[in-house]
Amino acid sequence: MGFLAPWFLASAAAVGLPIYLHLLRRHRTTPLPFSSLMFFERRTQSSIKHRRKKNISELKGRGVVLLLLALAFANPFIERSAASMSGEKLDLLVIDDSFSMRAGTHLADAKRDALAFLETRKPSERAQIMALGSQVHVLTEPTQDSGVLRSAVNSIQPGDTRASFGELAGTLRSMTETVHTPIELHLFSDMQRSAMPASFAEMALPANVSLVPHPQARGPEPNWTVESVSAPGEVFDPKKSRVQAVISGYHTPAAKKTVSLVVNGKAIATQTVDVPAEGRASVEFSSLDVPYGLTRCEVRIDSADSLPADDASLFAVKRSDPRKVLFVYESNDTRSPLYFRAALTSAAESAFNLETATVDRVANVQPAGHDFVVLSDVASLPASFENALTNYVKAGGSVFIAAGTSAARHPRIPIFGDTIADSRYYSREGARFLTVGEMDPSYPSVQKANRWTGVKFYFAVRVAGTDARVAARLTDQTPLLLEKKIGEGRALLFASGLDNFTNDFPLHPVFIPFIDQTARYLSGMETRAGSRIVDSFLELRTAKEQSVGVEVIDPDGKRPLSLREATAAQSFQLTRAGFYQLRLANGRQDLVGVNADRRESDLDEIPKDILALWTGNAGNAAQEASSGTVAQDQKKPYSLWWYAVLLLLLVAIAESLLSSQYLTMSREEP
Amino acid sequence: MQRFLDPAVLAGISGLDLVAKTVVDGFVAGLHRSPDFGFSQEFAEYRAYSPGDDLRHVDWNVFARTERAYLKRYRGETNTLLTVLLDASSSMNYSSHKVSKMDYARYVAASLFYLTTQTQRDAAGLIVFDDEVRTYIRASTRQGQLYRLLSGLENAEARARTNYAKPLLHFQNFLRKRGMVVVISDFFESPETIVRTIEPLRYHGNEVVLFHVLDPQELKPELDEPVLLIDMETQESLEVTPEYGREEYRTKVQSHITQLKDRTRAAGMDYHLLVTSSPLDGALREYLTLRQRRR
Repeated sequence: MGFLAPWFLASAAAVGLPIYLHLLRRHRTTPLPFSSLMFFERRTQSSIKHRRKKNISELKGRGVVLLLLALAFANPFIERSAASMSGEKLDLLVIDDSFSMRAGTHLADAKRDALAFLETRKPSERAQIMALGSQVHVLTEPTQDSGVLRSAVNSIQPGDTRASFGELAGTLRSMTETVHTPIELHLFSDMQRSAMPASFAEMALPANVSLVPHPQARGPEPNWTVESVSAPGEVFDPKKSRVQAVISGYHTPAAKKTVSLVVNGKAIATQTVDVPAEGRASVEFSSLDVPYGLTRCEVRIDSADSLPADDASLFAVKRSDPRKVLFVYESNDTRSPLYFRAALTSAAESAFNLETATVDRVANVQPAGHDFVVLSDVASLPASFENALTNYVKAGGSVFIAAGTSAARHPRIPIFGDTIADSRYYSREGARFLTVGEMDPSYPSVQKANRWTGVKFYFAVRVAGTDARVAARLTDQTPLLLEKKIGEGRALLFASGLDNFTNDFPLHPVFIPFIDQTARYLSGMETRAGSRIVDSFLELRTAKEQSVGVEVIDPDGKRPLSLREATAAQSFQLTRAGFYQLRLANGRQDLVGVNADRRESDLDEIPKDILALWTGNAGNAAQEASSGTVAQDQKKPYSLWWYAVLLLLLVAIAESLLSSQYLTMSREEP
Repeated sequence: MQRFLDPAVLAGISGLDLVAKTVVDGFVAGLHRSPDFGFSQEFAEYRAYSPGDDLRHVDWNVFARTERAYLKRYRGETNTLLTVLLDASSSMNYSSHKVSKMDYARYVAASLFYLTTQTQRDAAGLIVFDDEVRTYIRASTRQGQLYRLLSGLENAEARARTNYAKPLLHFQNFLRKRGMVVVISDFFESPETIVRTIEPLRYHGNEVVLFHVLDPQELKPELDEPVLLIDMETQESLEVTPEYGREEYRTKVQSHITQLKDRTRAAGMDYHLLVTSSPLDGALREYLTLRQRRR
């Protein structure tokens, strides 16, 4: 017991005041022998003796009142564990419905054990059912109704999420902030090691929670799985598209496994791979011959293990024609189309079909029909082509302009419109070359590769008075990469050439992602992911696409989004494994293959010593040492202030009644 | 001599015999100034001798002159038997000044014994009682009776409670001759009980007189503050306020005295209130008045 304001206890000395008034200043009645009391009536006996008795009672009452008053101000408290603050016990039954519980009959066994526990439970005890996945789902409120509890247990279906004991502990910590009853946590789970959080402290349970594990697994079980699949989200050339898969085994012996590539339910390729004991092996399918449009694909193995659900990895592929790009260059420039093509081909997975044309042959070429146009250091354009290109850009097309030494001979950059104020030959100056000084990492062309370290620029043009957005500058502040909005389209200016004379940029690896991102940006093509894992979030709309309805159809063919969510939700969490059909806010149809987190495939259990530590059998000291904050939460000061005040009130009332009774009797005396 | 009747003065005298002599001598000296009361050696009449009369009472001078034998008779020759019943209960020990009620009762009894035995030649006896008979000295005129009586008084110590029934029953058993019975007590009992208990003595032809001895504080208690009174006989305690002592108690005591007086007189007995602060002559005067009346 302690006092939050112990200095107020000094006021307890005030109890001496009534003692002084009652005892020290009391009328002393010295006994006086008298011959006979026969002439003294009995009723007069109440005069002093009884009054003194009452005074002593009053003295005690007033002393207690003062002591309680001092006690109330001193604010006494006792430290009580949260568990002891209430005598009612809550049986919390948490059933793991994560993906790994699909192994064998784990989930059925867990439900059976939970039902058996409910049968043996005392009817007066309250119980609550929760399901554990990546999140904790509360299935019932604390209740004594066995029917409700049993139906909740029976309603649990196998899930595809990944269990998280850290999430469970966090939920219980939040729960015990409001529920102070002792909680007996019965965890029906396969006690997967991979469900543990990175830090054991995150698993620490509150003091009023006692864990009773009900492990469902019977030792380590061998399991093969398709750990990962690397496949393009969009296929432009089936012969050049490759699918790579990694086959893993957990607690497995070395074995030969047959791996199949299945497209729309039909195996189009099969390979046999040797998977070492408890190891992994890679397999590659050299082509992905899929029809145009969205296709459901999967890589499947024949494992015949206890967890068949992880024997296939789903992904979706979209077959499209390659995008067309027009590359215009000077006839004497042979290097820039070479570098650009090489970069575009290697980066964009044959997504673009590059059409090249020299300036003298471009007069009759129509830019319309191309995703974007590249002007590589052209001195001048035929007027007809320039007009057509200008109209193309204004109508929403894109153009990428590289201004090298040829372009510098003219005062104005075609299409872009800005005048050239200066052209700098750094190789002729003392500096020899310049490097990139500033770069806007948010710009799409340089978003993924924004460190152009070591790239030397020997020549650059300087545009004057431009209102364009500058994405990169050289160290002398010369704008290197500029973008200007022209009509509905955009023009991107690279203030140097794409050959290796004006800079050595094409010789650096960073040139490839630059060309790749620039091509995707200018063509409006986004990177498409054909597969995701359960619990990841799918972006449904951008900031510009508000109030536009989206549509999501889950693997069961149901629409999980309500109408309100369909028009307002920014993202959607993928909670099931399977193929999700999407109609996004931009009107594009999409298909996503969703797979369970492959960490669930490792059925290895939590070591017994760690489990003992978690259940608290290894002593709370270790638990407290691992989590100081939790240890502090276990003891809570329980203030006795209200009890002191309540007692003070009662004593004060009693003392008042006694005093009033005494006064009444005094008036009645003769 | 009158000052020697003051109890406060008598308290300074050691020895009851001396006290009694002082009182009686003082009392007798005072009587000479009073024409109303005779004395025992006073000549009353001559009576012719008849055989059997005591020859010591023959007046030989008359026989010498007339050769007839006559007996000379005095007033006091009507012998009286005095028995004093002295209450020696604890309440008699109460005193608010130098003389306790017990002392005062001893003085009175001693004076009566002295007056009776030495002056009147009467027989005197003593019963000291509380709830039992403590001392019983049969009434007699023998030599040394006075000192026996005074010794009985000296040894009488107040203790226990008062119970009138037992000593009176005892007294009735031993009383063969009629005489005077003096009951000296503080009479803290209901008047009805007292009279009912003592009244049988009157039936035997005795003259009964009650000397009611009270302390001035018992009549008019003066209390400055509430006090806790302890009954000297029962040891019961009771708290009393000054207001009660000033008003209601006095009324009750006066009512008690009045009732006792009325009832005793109604029963043919005499009653005399003796306050321990007053001189003792009142008791002696009462006794002589009674004796005069018996003649």
